Amino acid sequence: MIKSRKIFWVLSILLILSLTLVGCGGQKEEPAPKEEVKKEAKAPAALKIGFLGDLTGDTAMYGQNTLDGMKMAVEDINAAGGVLGSNFEIVEADHRYDKAEAANIVQKFVNSDKVIAVIGDPTTGITKATAPIINQGSVVQISAGATGPGVVEIGPFIFRNTLLDTVGGPTTMDYLVNELGWKKVALITAVNNDFSVGLSKIFKEGILNNGGEVVIEESVQDGDTDFSGQVSNIKKSGAEVIVFSGYYTEGGLIMKEVRKQGMNEIIMVGGDGLQAPTFWELGGSAVEGSVSYAGFSPEQPTPEVEKFIERFKAKYGKAPDLFHAQGYDAVMLVAEAIKNANSADPKVFKDALAKIQDYPGVSGNTSFDANREPIKSPVYLLQVKDGNWSLLKKVPVKK
Amino acid sequence: MTLLNGLLPPYIESIAITVGIYIIMALGLNLITGVTGQLSLGHAAYMSIGAYASAVVSLQLGMPFIFALLAGGIAAGFFGLIIGYPTLRLTGDYLAIATLGFGEIVKSLLFNMPIVGGAMGLAGIPFKSTLTVTLIVVIIVIWMMVRVERSRFGRALLAIREDDIAAECYGINTSLYKVKMFVLGTFIAGIGGALWAHKIMVLQPRDFGFMKSIEILNMVVLGGLGSIPGTVLGAIVLTSIPEVLRFSSDYRMLLYGALLVIMMRFRPNGLLGGVDVTKLVKKSIKSITGSNFADKEKKKVKGGN
Repeated sequence: MIKSRKIFWVLSILLILSLTLVGCGGQKEEPAPKEEVKKEAKAPAALKIGFLGDLTGDTAMYGQNTLDGMKMAVEDINAAGGVLGSNFEIVEADHRYDKAEAANIVQKFVNSDKVIAVIGDPTTGITKATAPIINQGSVVQISAGATGPGVVEIGPFIFRNTLLDTVGGPTTMDYLVNELGWKKVALITAVNNDFSVGLSKIFKEGILNNGGEVVIEESVQDGDTDFSGQVSNIKKSGAEVIVFSGYYTEGGLIMKEVRKQGMNEIIMVGGDGLQAPTFWELGGSAVEGSVSYAGFSPEQPTPEVEKFIERFKAKYGKAPDLFHAQGYDAVMLVAEAIKNANSADPKVFKDALAKIQDYPGVSGNTSFDANREPIKSPVYLLQVKDGNWSLLKKVPVKK
Repeated sequence: MTLLNGLLPPYIESIAITVGIYIIMALGLNLITGVTGQLSLGHAAYMSIGAYASAVVSLQLGMPFIFALLAGGIAAGFFGLIIGYPTLRLTGDYLAIATLGFGEIVKSLLFNMPIVGGAMGLAGIPFKSTLTVTLIVVIIVIWMMVRVERSRFGRALLAIREDDIAAECYGINTSLYKVKMFVLGTFIAGIGGALWAHKIMVLQPRDFGFMKSIEILNMVVLGGLGSIPGTVLGAIVLTSIPEVLRFSSDYRMLLYGALLVIMMRFRPNGLLGGVDVTKLVKKSIKSITGSNFADKEKKKVKGGN
């Protein structure tokens, strides 16, 4: 009796598994021809754009916002009659911030879905893990968020549309040392955060190049909550300003500790890692006056950007952020390149994409330099005022 | 070596390679936790040691893949020896906490070692873990595990799991056996890590956190502690289900969680826990053919649940 029940269980599980596998195998093959038949009668098949990002993991906010921006761009393009007579269509897949799953997804995008371009991933790590596969499959990838080094070097099909650390960092440090006049800087790095480690190097170079001085370097870890040791070292060092390259959580907590130890004037200057409401939710009045740079700000928009912001608010009920704007622009850049090349073949339009200069996107003017790296202008310097970011200065970037 | 490569659609091939790597990793942990009953929560640490060691061998020394693979296994096995020797004297919760701590230490070290790129990690590792290579390694590891399970060594391990005092009374040097077993298990984890490095091509310390250890432990528990076919099935199911459920987009992880709960409700000992698969196959062959040629081999291998 027991044996037969066991056999029953094993067999039923195997049966269910095989059914799901067969079901999925069939699913993939069936709808494709149907769609083609339908589309052939009406218009040429839609051009597919793959969304690569995280919708449920640690970086879900970046992924979701990029996707929302992309969806709006696709709506706009299709409403205007598509590109070369074809509509755009988004194929989305969530990778839960898991590199193995992301690698599987891009194989699906490139080989099963036959996308012409992949937009994503917003993080440098996953972009680097997927770019070799996408490049080999001769599909264009535009990462709207990978700011770290070593991305576009992977191959001629790999692009990114984001304010690079190497553009934003030096611009901010120039402003800090030359306009605000602070020469003695305390530099804090979150050593277990790749973004922070990379940005700290750039910050340091920027400070030294502008004649400033790094009087003390301290390290923290993402996830730390006690910064009293580091802060008291900074207090002794006589620094005039704290430069922090990490994320908003630690940034907010560090500033709280700074005020607790009686340094009431000093402010924090950081990268776009500070760009989240958590920064002032945690830091409260301690982070008032803190400065960070960003590639996008809804304040003081140009007329085109203002229109985008209004339409975005009407659609999603909130103001767009950096990732919305970059996701929107990434799709628009693909459309622009296809128009310029007069071809939807990634092998052809990738060259047109590399030649784009001064594209007036909603996340700033975008140009690609000789190495296919994006140069986005202007850089927005933002300051915390009454628990929100307010625009301090728009700094144009020299090409 | 390109026998199977390109036979399947690339998407399926990519998933199959991932499944293969997880099978290897889960079999290593099955030896430690399933067969010998030593709860280890730091398996991803050995995987990361193997991955980084093999990546360094590939990138810095430019050696052929087979050396990178072995280097990964040996490095992980070496750390298994260093860690296993003192910690395996602990039992139960204490061992779990010690291994968990070791996992965190490895992650912190990797974050702070400039030679392996710190938090930025290593990139540009060549793609070498093709389906053929992975499949060959999977088959070798399964074969090894079956041989171990049926040897005197394997039975000693089972005895330790059931009652280590009784095992000691029968003349089994439990500490020595545990350390040997742990080195073998971590060696296999290192091999899996090496394959992982040459599949994903990018390594970052955050990929080998506590959750990765739990994921692998999940496969072993779901498949059935101590059962080799169960562990293989667990790895296949848990790795492919997120892809299979992709059609349900937003509800995917919800369904995944629900499936886990349902499976544990109806199979608390794991999918194949307490099922003797060789017997099962023989029995079904017998019932189909009516002959009894499979009867002569009556090896009872499995312990109880």
